[in-house]
Amino acid sequence: MRVDNRLTDGVPMRPLACDRCAAQVLVRKSSRQQTSVQWNSGATALCAELEGAEPAFEGCGSLRDTIREATLRGTIELADGGGGGETGGPGRQLM
Amino acid sequence: MSAVDSAPDDVRAIEAAAAPTRFARGWHCLGLSEKYRDGKPHSVRAFGQKLVVFQAGDGTLSVLDAYCRHMGGDLSQGTVKGDEVACPFHDWRWGGDGRCKQIPYSKRVPLRARTASWPTLDQDGMLFVWNDPEGSPPPADVVIPRIEGATSDEWTDWLWYETTIDANCREVVDNVVDMAHFFYVHYSFPTFFKNVFEGHTATQHMRATGRPDARPQEQGDKPKTTGSNSLAAYHGPSFMIDDLTYHYDTGDQQSVLINCHYPVDANRFVLQYGIIVRRSPSMTGSAADELAAGMAQFIKLGFEQDIQIWQNKARIDNPLLCEEDGPVYQLRRWYEQFYVDVADVKPEMTDRFEFELDTTRPVEAWQKEVEANLARKAAAAPAEGRPV
Ligand code: FES
Ligand SMILES: [Fe+2]
Repeated sequence: MRVDNRLTDGVPMRPLACDRCAAQVLVRKSSRQQTSVQWNSGATALCAELEGAEPAFEGCGSLRDTIREATLRGTIELADGGGGGETGGPGRQLM
Repeated sequence: MSAVDSAPDDVRAIEAAAAPTRFARGWHCLGLSEKYRDGKPHSVRAFGQKLVVFQAGDGTLSVLDAYCRHMGGDLSQGTVKGDEVACPFHDWRWGGDGRCKQIPYSKRVPLRARTASWPTLDQDGMLFVWNDPEGSPPPADVVIPRIEGATSDEWTDWLWYETTIDANCREVVDNVVDMAHFFYVHYSFPTFFKNVFEGHTATQHMRATGRPDARPQEQGDKPKTTGSNSLAAYHGPSFMIDDLTYHYDTGDQQSVLINCHYPVDANRFVLQYGIIVRRSPSMTGSAADELAAGMAQFIKLGFEQDIQIWQNKARIDNPLLCEEDGPVYQLRRWYEQFYVDVADVKPEMTDRFEFELDTTRPVEAWQKEVEANLARKAAAAPAEGRPV
């Protein structure tokens, strides 16, 4: 299957564990507002907020907080360079 | 970088494989069931075949292959006799289960007198047919959710449109992630946009603000929209339910919009859209019907512009995306699950994926554009402000 040009030419998805439930997901942020989250079955099984949620459920609040923290710390860099930390760290080849 | 990757300065080539000749596994809506309840067999071209839809005497709607297994007569040109459809060629009678029940001029029905019968679902005023190239029945957990308003007196009846489009149906599905086209093609103004894919659903959360430069039906003393909130989800490959609330200066208005399609063949599909509107204290009787009709007109306009784009655009497997575009590749990865055998559905096609767009830059750019449009209109419009 083809890969998003933004992942190959820009910043890839990076692994991140939720501070609350330890679910391991892949995260990418192109800017402070933009967020991509890739779950897998192991992670969705761990997440308390996703369990039994309505289809309308937009996403886990704890994970959102974890991502915000990670962005401030620079663990998750912003593709647009607007703040965040080092680039090209481990996980560069993901997806 | 692999050898096939191009250097940044090279001309970008559009890549596109031929549209698949296989058709998506899933429930497909064939339109309002009422349309098929006139006692006549109906011909439907779908999934590269010809089907016959008919209503048995007991009210059940059935879908069979149109071509009679006797000598190939077209059942959709026949007549309904009791619970069966009778072939126009030699009057063989076919039941909704696909079995030949009777041959009036013969002592008995021969062995193997069975044709293809398609699983159907008659729900909330719509008829659905199940397509599966592997021939399996619909799993119990693959369902079309009920639409409360569809059977309620507090809501208007369905307003329904259909049109045939010369393009592969992937084009319409792509739109679920395409935020920017909502501004340029549908005269909407998204301010929040998020997609979630999981299992067989693909959801779009969209909040939008009013578009005072582009709503001709809101001229004069009509209520004006200040924004909208939309939760739209594909349930399977082809049927989208959009819970859409418009915020008017006079209050909120709830509606349900259906956007669905079925493939005719690899390069043609029938697009359908339907709408119901909730009646409210401020929106009773004909006012709600009028509003529904007005919204339907507006939606129709948007789809007509989509169609114009689809019928002229190139199929493209390698779209070049900017950071303010939605997750086209991940949507197509989700969509792929409907085109492979069940045994070949990979976790990555159904695992949950979330994508929230950053609307900061688009909103800035579009605000300027709306202001410019309004200024141009004000300069051009006659004093009494008739719609232009
Ligand atoms: S072909 Fe249908 S009855 Fe003979
Ligand atoms: Fe569209």
